[in-house]
Amino acid sequence: MRGELHFDVVVIGVGTAGLTAGTRLAEGGARVCVVAKGVGSTHLAPGTIDVLGYGPDRVEQPARALQELIAAQPEHPYSLLGAERVEEALEWFRATAAGGPFEGYTYLGGLDRNHLLPTAVGVLRPSALIPETMAAGDGESRVCVVGTPPLRDFHASLCAANLFQAGVPARSVQLKVEGQRADANALGLARTFDDAQRRAAFCADLSLHLRGEDRVGLPAVLGLDDPHGVWRDLEHRLGRPVFEIPTLPPSVPGMRLFEILRSAFRRAGGRLVLGSEVVAAERSDARVTAVRARAAGGEMRYVAPWIVLASGGFASGAIELDSRWVTSDRVLGLPLHGVPEAGQPRFVEPYLGDHPMARAGVAVDGELRAEGCENVLVVGASLPGAEPWREGSGEGIALASGFRAAEVVLSSERAAAEAPA
Amino acid sequence: MVTLRTDVLVIGGGATGAGVAWDAALRGLDVVLAERKDLAEGTSGRFHGLVHSGGRYAVKDPRAAEECVAENRVLRNIAADTLEDTGGFFVTTPWDDPVYADRFAEGCLATGVQCEEISPAQALREEPRLNPDISRVFRVPDANVDVWKLVWALARGAATRGAQVLPYHAVVAIDREGDEVTGARLRDARTGEETVVRARVTVNAAGAWAGQLAALAGIDDVRILPGRGIMIAMNHRLVNTVVNRCQMPTDGDIIVPVRTVCVIGTTDQHTDDPDDHTVLESEVDQMLDDGEKLVPGFRRARALRVWTGVRPLFEDVKADGTLTRDVTRSHTLLDHSHRDGVGRFLTITGGKLTTFRLMAEHTVDAVCRALSEDRPCTTTAEPLPGSEERRHYNLGERLGRKEARLADEQLICDCEMVSRSALEDGIRRRATTNLDDIRRLLRLGMGPCQGGFCMYRATGVLHGLDGMTSQQANGALLDFLQERWKGIRPVLYGDQLRQARLDDWIFQGTLDVGHLST
Amino acid sequence: MTETGLQDLVRGSLDHCVKCTICETACPVSNVTPLFPGPKYVGPQAERFRVGDEPSVEWSVDYCSGCGICTQVCPQEVKIAEINAHARGKLKRQEGVPLRDRIITRPTVLGRLGTPVAPVANLALRLRPARILAEKLLSVHRDAPVPKFAGHRFSRWARKRTSPKSERRIVYFHGCGTEYYEPWEGQKVVAVLEHNGYEVEVPKQDCCGLPLQSSGLFDDARKVVLRLARALAPYVRDGNTIIVGNATSCTLMLKREAREILGLEDDPDLKLVSERTYDICELLDELHDRGELRTDFQPVPETIAYHAPCQQQGHWIGKPALELFRLIPELEVREMTARCCGIAGTYGLKAEKYEIAMDVGRPLFEQVGASGATTVACDSETCRWQITHATDRPSVHPIDLLHRAYGL
Repeated sequence: MRGELHFDVVVIGVGTAGLTAGTRLAEGGARVCVVAKGVGSTHLAPGTIDVLGYGPDRVEQPARALQELIAAQPEHPYSLLGAERVEEALEWFRATAAGGPFEGYTYLGGLDRNHLLPTAVGVLRPSALIPETMAAGDGESRVCVVGTPPLRDFHASLCAANLFQAGVPARSVQLKVEGQRADANALGLARTFDDAQRRAAFCADLSLHLRGEDRVGLPAVLGLDDPHGVWRDLEHRLGRPVFEIPTLPPSVPGMRLFEILRSAFRRAGGRLVLGSEVVAAERSDARVTAVRARAAGGEMRYVAPWIVLASGGFASGAIELDSRWVTSDRVLGLPLHGVPEAGQPRFVEPYLGDHPMARAGVAVDGELRAEGCENVLVVGASLPGAEPWREGSGEGIALASGFRAAEVVLSSERAAAEAPA
Repeated sequence: MVTLRTDVLVIGGGATGAGVAWDAALRGLDVVLAERKDLAEGTSGRFHGLVHSGGRYAVKDPRAAEECVAENRVLRNIAADTLEDTGGFFVTTPWDDPVYADRFAEGCLATGVQCEEISPAQALREEPRLNPDISRVFRVPDANVDVWKLVWALARGAATRGAQVLPYHAVVAIDREGDEVTGARLRDARTGEETVVRARVTVNAAGAWAGQLAALAGIDDVRILPGRGIMIAMNHRLVNTVVNRCQMPTDGDIIVPVRTVCVIGTTDQHTDDPDDHTVLESEVDQMLDDGEKLVPGFRRARALRVWTGVRPLFEDVKADGTLTRDVTRSHTLLDHSHRDGVGRFLTITGGKLTTFRLMAEHTVDAVCRALSEDRPCTTTAEPLPGSEERRHYNLGERLGRKEARLADEQLICDCEMVSRSALEDGIRRRATTNLDDIRRLLRLGMGPCQGGFCMYRATGVLHGLDGMTSQQANGALLDFLQERWKGIRPVLYGDQLRQARLDDWIFQGTLDVGHLST
Repeated sequence: MTETGLQDLVRGSLDHCVKCTICETACPVSNVTPLFPGPKYVGPQAERFRVGDEPSVEWSVDYCSGCGICTQVCPQEVKIAEINAHARGKLKRQEGVPLRDRIITRPTVLGRLGTPVAPVANLALRLRPARILAEKLLSVHRDAPVPKFAGHRFSRWARKRTSPKSERRIVYFHGCGTEYYEPWEGQKVVAVLEHNGYEVEVPKQDCCGLPLQSSGLFDDARKVVLRLARALAPYVRDGNTIIVGNATSCTLMLKREAREILGLEDDPDLKLVSERTYDICELLDELHDRGELRTDFQPVPETIAYHAPCQQQGHWIGKPALELFRLIPELEVREMTARCCGIAGTYGLKAEKYEIAMDVGRPLFEQVGASGATTVACDSETCRWQITHATDRPSVHPIDLLHRAYGL
């Protein structure tokens, strides 16, 4: 053991759920340390806040669909959290984004009505809370989808063709963006769009190709430093609404989301340790007393009365299914829930089917406390009972559970402080 | 309906059938090669792609060993570009009978298999992942072959000499006139169009399906016993040398590095159906255990995908109870005019990938006899297209090629370094919209992400190039995803499960392919 | 574990790669130049195409600066930077190493040669014609920020004094930067440690070998780092004494890079040293956590920018300097979020890489400029020289602020 540090709360994981919990806790006055083995979920996700997209049919009104889901699936994270908490978490997030590091960049929407946004393959996907830079994607008017070679991660013609099939009058245009490397990704293009001169040149060229379209769709590259400014400028120069379409990682809107949450966390006084994988928990009866995390030259001990496990589920390897088909929580060794019995199917034959193993997670009670562990709260993708990508619920669960976990900790601490000696 | 007239109709587009087409075309015969799916989609493409040194058979089947020794040399000469000269080890693990090693050495000496005993320390220096408890090691000239490259080179070579190569053409009927086979009727699986082929000789090279095909000619007793086995591709080359267990051939006794992966195999499950692709959990478990014996830590390494191959085992017991197997060969050539009174029809079966050229030679010799023509075989000397420079394939090639054009060339599949221009060429050349065909041709989507990133890109390129409708493009993408899932699902654990979750995020989350219209 | 054994542990980590591209978004080099295809490409992707004994086919791997940010941000535990380092080592073994790389990777030699003639050497290094000649002969870029020789060695000052006795003992690993170029930094470090009740011993010591390793000269790097480990290990065998350094690149080398990249996992001296080595800010932060840090800080009414060097972040302990700054009254600190200053040790000195290094650092330089800070705090000396070179602002080690606040 190299050394140890003490905190009020240690949050394991720096994705949407972890940063939400960490920020809310720090805003509530707790000394928080977020320890993470790397950067994750935000950079890979589209950057929208999806609450409930499919239940299994396409959801028009998330508020109502949430109630239906809670009634039908008592084991779902939303059932533990309740619809009001989801609402609160969204409100908080919207305010945090508005007050964040990107001047003018806001998120729109809520639980009343899902937006229908085109995906990079031209499907209309429901999303509750979306960046303003995507909002014009929700609509039925004529749209020109613009491909930006050499970006290989976006194919405008396929997108437009499928949109057309879905009843949206769409066509596509390809406009090369100069000065890009052959293997340019969305981040490289976003940097180009951050540059006013190159943006102006691009718009001048694009204007020549536009016909009667009422709106223009681009891949999600509308700037990393000043997305609001870039987007507004594009709309101004092209004289019509412009929207960005999320595509393969790296997700520029996702990176902005990360930066919004990270800077809110740091502003609230939280401490961030990256590159450090939690490898073990120290336990005493029904409590985890400390976690050990990798550091250069050995391990660090992070000691805290509260732990928030925001470790990312199967996708990050936090929950592992090994070659002998044994499932485990690799981070803290906590019991799991929802793991199919031996002999029962783990994954079904149709790729797009509902796979039982995907719903496994760390077992929790109604307050997100891990089973057998009163001071560990589980949030985000490590929770059981959800299929975030099929349902379109990942970010909603992450935000609401992170929000809730912070609430549980803060109110417990308040209660303890107020209790008679 | 089209009618083709030819000298030889070869049915079956695996290594054997393609080899027959090549040999026959070189001898100046007109050839039509018909394959019901994509070339090498059958047994040839479904094993590890090992070119045997012969060591495996040195004790059990000396005749086969001798054939492998000779053919290994020939293939290095004529198909150099398709081979990677990995070399091989035969290792005695704690689970192997140490006496076998001496029998092995003797057997190699007797059959001409080049074999050199080295110290385990030396072997571990070359292959640090090997089990440190191995007691004896023999070095042999095993190699690996890119089967698709090989089969397509054979087909291309035949085609440039006038052969017609027809993938996706299934045989719906074999035509007879009296006691002679006169050809076959084919149906194009893609268009439904029928083609009639009238041939002077018909060769049944249908491998595990040879029995079914012979039955179409009215011969019911060509009994192929399909032996189904699984292979698992591991994400990276845990070893760069072929590693064999030094014991009598059995399940799971070999790890073959091939391209960027290494493959462990195989098992042996009897089945009645050559199209049986069942993968049993017990088989997977067995392969992982076997892998662990050769490479400690195998179970913690990443498995990419599992697939099945069906070996055509043939033992011909005629009605009178006598074995018809030619005792001087390890494969079997059935001349049905002698055996069954059905003329102008031959079946070639048995053998192994390594000896395909020899099998083809004997087959075409028999074809020439049937045609009463004297045309000698030249395949031992003629290099295949692409192998003229007699340079072996080297794993770093794709990396080196990309390095040379770092700034200019765009990759569509990062994992396997498939460039956009290679993809576009491949689509045009093969005139296919089937992403799975392209996968086999270029290795697109065969790396760690199993298409997670490149499939959207490839579908986009396909849609853009081909004037496909979006429905067709969507169908191609969804078909690919389902096909890929088949191979991933039985080995979905550990790192590959993490990958699958990310890929689901991309496909079902960000792209929402689950709601594509088809 | 043998070198090849360790290589397979590093190489084996490529199995965790899910191609997510997060490392590529963070790589400061590939984001500014197409000459470097990025960590995912050069690391876990290309590694699948490399066969141990076959010749390397890649020149692009040499453009990796070795900053290690990729490994730090990777959510799947792939040892990307280490895979790259091995690939570069192999390339160098094959290609041979230019004279320049043999010279600039030996700061001890340069230091010993330059110190006695410091005024002349410093003048020469600032004369344009001399720099142009150096560029032609040695490929060291004429504008690269080479430091000035101090003219006296830190160890000489240390030898002439005795540290007050204490139960709490520290062995000070000062590194070549402090020894030859910034001996005053070392004096400050000692003063702060003694102020907090430590007895500080400064043993005879040499280079950690990091510059040799970064340039792919693995055999030489091994000799050098093991020599250092042998020198330091005896001091910490008592289980009580610790090694403290102020050069975060050098302490990282001892903590893990030498073991992981040079395959020295099995050396017992190096293992012991790695477990007992601390960065000065790391130590003081932990002291504070225990309530044992003296907090008699006077106000420092200034606005500073803090840049955590890539190889400080590579310690994987967060940014303890920021926590220490919070204890100093009236000190305003702007945390720089830009990734890398570009120098990457000796990378940015090289003629063919200088411009890339300056492009890499540009976001940081602009952030510094916009921050309103008068001074930049940064834990690595080479980064400080680069930052001052590019922004014209003075740059100090974080310990300077504490030293000042303590009134020492």
